[in-house]
This record gives sequence, structure tokens and C-alpha cells, in this order.
Amino acid sequence: MADFLSQYSIQRWLEMCPQGYLEDTVNGHDPGLSEPEEILGNEEIREASIALTVQLIAGERAALAASSGLVNAAPDYASKTFLATQTLDEARHVEIFTQRLMDLGVKKEDVNSTVADYTNPNLVKFAEVLLEKVSNGDFIAGVVGQNIVLEGMAFTVFELLQTTSKELNPKFAQTLAGTIADERRHVGFGENRIGSLIAQHPERKAEIERMQGEMAYHMLATFSDIFTGGASTMTRERDRLAAQGQSIGDAGWHGTDLSTATPADMEAVLADTVLSEFKTRLGRIGLEYQTPKVPA
Amino acid sequence: MADVDHDEEPHLLEEDQFLQEVHSFSFWFEAIEGYLEDRPRGYVETLGEPTDSKTMSDADRDQLITTLCNYCVGESTALEASSGLVRMAPNNHSRIFLATQVADEARHLEVFLRRLEMLGVTNPEAEVEARAASGLVEFRKRLLDLVDQGDWEAAVFAQNVLLESMEDTVFKFHESVADTITQQMLEGVVADERRHLGFGENDLGRRLAHDPDGRSRLAAIRADLDPLVLASFDSVYRELGLSREDQPQLGKEYLATVERLGLTT
Repeated sequence: MADFLSQYSIQRWLEMCPQGYLEDTVNGHDPGLSEPEEILGNEEIREASIALTVQLIAGERAALAASSGLVNAAPDYASKTFLATQTLDEARHVEIFTQRLMDLGVKKEDVNSTVADYTNPNLVKFAEVLLEKVSNGDFIAGVVGQNIVLEGMAFTVFELLQTTSKELNPKFAQTLAGTIADERRHVGFGENRIGSLIAQHPERKAEIERMQGEMAYHMLATFSDIFTGGASTMTRERDRLAAQGQSIGDAGWHGTDLSTATPADMEAVLADTVLSEFKTRLGRIGLEYQTPKVPA
Repeated sequence: MADVDHDEEPHLLEEDQFLQEVHSFSFWFEAIEGYLEDRPRGYVETLGEPTDSKTMSDADRDQLITTLCNYCVGESTALEASSGLVRMAPNNHSRIFLATQVADEARHLEVFLRRLEMLGVTNPEAEVEARAASGLVEFRKRLLDLVDQGDWEAAVFAQNVLLESMEDTVFKFHESVADTITQQMLEGVVADERRHLGFGENDLGRRLAHDPDGRSRLAAIRADLDPLVLASFDSVYRELGLSREDQPQLGKEYLATVERLGLTT
């Protein structure tokens, strides 16, 4: 374990992240890039982009609270050190997505009220399940909830958004690329560190599996709200692009062409991909994946 | 990270913009990049092992190990406290600043633990526990209690003013008498402590300006905690071989800060 944890030192993080893939970026993207006029000049799309960005901020705020809260509960210095780097990663994500909100025209003084107004209530419940474990100082459940469930969801959502943005919004796609690289590292830590702790504490399995099922339920409900609520806007935007002879470009993702998929198809492929990843990762650390109830 | 193109120097910005700027990730990275560039483990490795490290006597080595173990207690306390403070931060830029502080404290801990290994300590975590000064351990408990109670002002005072200014003073003194490797490590750590202290004084200064009750409360907390930290760092001076009369004025900067905040009793 010591060798694996040495790969998660502050030094390694500095070399990989700020001195690596974030080198020469500002707020996670090349200097000089901006949000496309097609978003800023179209009120419906701009508002949809604001609503989407708010969900990312809400998720990252929860991740920041959880990762910082887990430092204290970590059983060794090396885990504390990794969680310190994760805390800073999550703070950076909050910062860059908040910046995006302002780039989309939200005034600084309106950021908090905008986040409060647009955050999906099911995403709030998702975060509350996790933060309760963190508040109780429960390191094993906290890391599973944070680094496997929350980060696993974020990783897949960011990948989908990056695929649909890379052609028409390189600024957002680049911002997401850095966060994806971060999330991959966080998920890797979760898998590597928690497996041995689960093996030492098999009595904790049932409770942690229950937490995963509950978080997955709220996640699916969030997806459902967002894709159902945004369906008409997504469809209109696709039609508008088609009328102008444009598309989101090469957008194959887990067997689905996102440039032609309906909102329902996109929701289905996203949910399937996230849940399948959960199943694989939980299996690796010795937990049994719990199929969530399907939200009404 | 690319240099951010600011129209104005940070100190010329409006207060709100200034706080957002100096508490950002990019500002933090620009601040630390300078002293990390050629010091991947906190010191210039290309120098090899300097003579003063090779010729260190066993007694000096043992003394340095004890000192570094207590630095580790201080840094792990700061790591746990600053991470606990993230969640209760009153706004986004404070939250982001504290996240940078969490990484700084972890970095300091990592660097000091590595130095212990270089000095031949095979299990640094156990050694830190064995050699920790009781006053510092008690201070750690009190500080983490304040964090657990969600007492933002008291915790920021205890961590970012009291602990950080004491560390700043002791590390700066130690830097002037340390062997080359330890000296280089301390140089980087001191640069961070200044930033943390600045945050604490700035945040509390704004809050306490119109809050006499808050000032009285913090003054009482200060009177309670001061002796624990002062005694701990006093013992570090003794370990560094200084007689009491030769010790620099340990709390000079700290007392000046306390005075500015109106926390004198």
C-alpha cells in the first residue's frame, strides 16, 4: 500500500496537474477562448447552459465539502495528503465552473442566488447522503460515496459533455478535459485505498451498499429531471444547427451517436454508463452493486 | 498555468475583486511556483548531500529529529484544521483559499516527513507520535474542537493567526541556523505561512472591526491557548541549543498582529 500511496503525493500532483495538463491554461482552458456567440446570443440556450453549469457547481461544492471533511478522518498521513490534493482539485473545479457561470452573463453578486435557484433538489439529496457520512467521520463510507459514486458520476457526465462540446464550444470542452483528468485520479485513489479497508471491515458492507443504492437513486432522478426538463430546448437546438448545416461533430459515445440521439436516448446511455461503471468499480473493492429504484 | 492577464495589480483592485483574486487557485499556484520549480522535495536535490548534513553529529541529528517531529505535529494539526474549515467558510473565495492552504499544509508535512526519513527515521509517523510535545498535542485537540464546534472566528484565530505566526517566527529563526537541506525546506514553508497569516488577519480584521463582543471572546480564547503554543515553541528553541536569554522575541510578530486585531487582554 505504501508504494501505491507514494503515487498520490503532493509532489506528484504538482508535476501532473498544475505543472502538467494545466500548464499554460487560464481557468482550465487556453487563454483567449470564450463562450460561443451561439450561446451568448440565444437566451434559451444561454439559460440552459446556466442551468447545466449550476449542477456542475453544486456537485463540485459537495465534492469540496466531502474531500476536505475526509482529511480529518483519514487513517494515515499519505491518505490525508492525497485528500489535500483532491480538496484543491475540487476547489479549482468550483472556481472554473463559477467563472463559466459569470462568462455566461451571471453577475458576480448573483452567483449564489443563481446556484440556489437552479440546483436540482435531487442533486441536493444526493449530496446530503454523502455529507452525512462525512460529518460522522466515516472514512470508508465517505470515500466510497465521494471517490467511487460522486466522482464516478462526475467523470462520466463530464465525458458526455466534453463529447458534445468539443466541436462547438472548445472553451468548455477544454475546461472539462482538465476536470476529467482530475476525476480519473480521484476514482483511482478510491478504488486502490478502500479495497483493503473493506476487506478489514466486512461488517460495513451492507450499510455502504445501501448508501450507494440511495445515492444512485437520487442521481437517476437528477438525470431524469434534467433531460425531461431540457428536452424541448435540446431538440430545438439540434434542429437549429441542422438548418444551418452544422452539428456537434463526431459524437459517438458508448455506442450512441450523440449528434442524433433524442434526449431520452442520451439520458439512457448516460445512466447505463454510470451504473455500469459503478458496478465494475464496486466489484473491484469487494462491494456488491445495488440496483437503484427507478425514480417515478 | 498561464499568467492571468490582469488589467491592474492586485493591490489596486476593488476590495471584493482583490479578495477573489488573491484567494484563487491561479494566484496560489503563481505564489508557490517560484520556490517549487527547482525543489521537487523541498530542497535543491542537484546539490547532492551537503557537508553539513554528512558531518552532523548523532546528538545534533537526534535533536533535529525531535524538532522536525514537532513541526509535523504542527503541520498535521494545520492540515486537519484547515480542511475542517473549508466546509464552514462563509464564501467561495475563502473556501478556495482554504483549499489551497490544505494543500500547502499537506506539502509541508510531506517535506518534513521526508526529511525525517533522510535522517534515518524508518517509521516517521510513529516517531512523530513518540516525540510530540504535550503542549502542542493539547493545542491540537483544542483547535480541532473549535473546528468541530463550527466556531469559524475562533478556529481561524487559533490556526491562521496563533499557530501560523508562531510557526513563522520559529521557522524563520531555525532557517538561519539550520543545515542546508533543512534550511531550504523551511524557506519554502515560511513563504506559505505568510500567506496563511495574511488571510487570517484580513478575515478577522474585517469581522472584528465592529464587533467588540467578538473581540472579547477571542481575547479570552487567546489567553487560554497562548501558553500551550508558546511553551511548545519555547522547547523547540531549547532543542536548537539556545539559552532563554538568547532566544529571539518569540511572539513579536504575533503580538503585533494580536494588537492590530484588538485582542490584547
